[in-house]
Amino acid sequence: MNNFRSSCGSRDGLRGGLLWIAAAVLLLTAMPALAQQPAAGRVKVASGAAFIVRGGNAVPVRIGETVYQSDGLRTGADGRIGIMLNDDTRVSLGPSSEVSLDRFAYAPADGQLGFVLRVVRGVAAYVSGRIAKLSPDSVHLETPAAIVGVRGTTLALRVVPE
Amino acid sequence: MNMTRWSALVVGLLVAGVTSACGQLRLGAPERPGQTLTVLLPEDDGDRPGRATVSNPKGTTNLESLNDATVASTNRRPTPAKHLSDAEVHRIFGDALSALPPPAQRFTLYFRFESDELTDDSRSTVPDILQAIKNHPVPELLVVGHTDTTGTSAANFDLGRKRAEMVRGVLIDAGLEGSAIRIISHGETDLLVSTADDTFEPRNRRVDISVR
Repeated sequence: MNNFRSSCGSRDGLRGGLLWIAAAVLLLTAMPALAQQPAAGRVKVASGAAFIVRGGNAVPVRIGETVYQSDGLRTGADGRIGIMLNDDTRVSLGPSSEVSLDRFAYAPADGQLGFVLRVVRGVAAYVSGRIAKLSPDSVHLETPAAIVGVRGTTLALRVVPE
Repeated sequence: MNMTRWSALVVGLLVAGVTSACGQLRLGAPERPGQTLTVLLPEDDGDRPGRATVSNPKGTTNLESLNDATVASTNRRPTPAKHLSDAEVHRIFGDALSALPPPAQRFTLYFRFESDELTDDSRSTVPDILQAIKNHPVPELLVVGHTDTTGTSAANFDLGRKRAEMVRGVLIDAGLEGSAIRIISHGETDLLVSTADDTFEPRNRRVDISVR
């Protein structure tokens, strides 16, 4: 992005403008992936310092907010978050924790099923939903040290980052 | 399980016992950087716990019993499964577990023949549904209308929709936001009891409600 900014400030304004347009087009073509993708679930519980990380920005979480695939969740020292996903999978975070919903696909009619939650640090709880019943092999919890495969279950993880 | 795997398990347990006695791998003690503690917990419905496998390139540990726990490190195989006490689970994971939303709850209401009128039994279930809604923070409801196979499929699609709408009306009257309720009709395409076409079957004349 810095390249775009510097060319915009140069004498070659037209070229800079075109670059901005190109950047905007790129963004807009990338956006639908974000904007049109179906909701994965909702935030049901949030207290203390609790953030949703989307496109690199951490925004304070609101209860009732929609969660999408590739969103991250992050808490501060007094934070907690609980989400309910569309297949009834539930995920929660304790304080000083971070996870990322790397994959969420729940379209049984199209054979699209998958769930990958990356636990970056801290403590998290996971209760499997229908994806784990319909397609257990497509469900993984990833941590820096291991991959956890799930057969319909409730788990809790604590990850100490490197 | 064959003998080799049994002996591997026994050796594993012995190693776990020895190392934990030495205090090097005490479960529940803070893990070192890069390590992950994973514990298998009971299901809310009181069912037997499921199973989980904790794997990395060095090996795999199966978690199969309640409170089975393992510590995984990047450069070492996950430790053999070992029981983590309820007190330790509560101490380490209490905050995270307390933030879990309540599980989804499901209800089925039944209807009179060719009507959007609830049976008397189902009418008395409505307070339970309202209570479930109260127990859910930010409740969302999915209301799916169904019919039996009496009549045409088009008419049944409409009847399923009418039934779902009737339930929505009851819920809105009870004070629920309309935007929190999604209604759909499956008509006669999703029978609870499979029957031939044009079959009178009270158990198929229903609305399924999921509260989450």
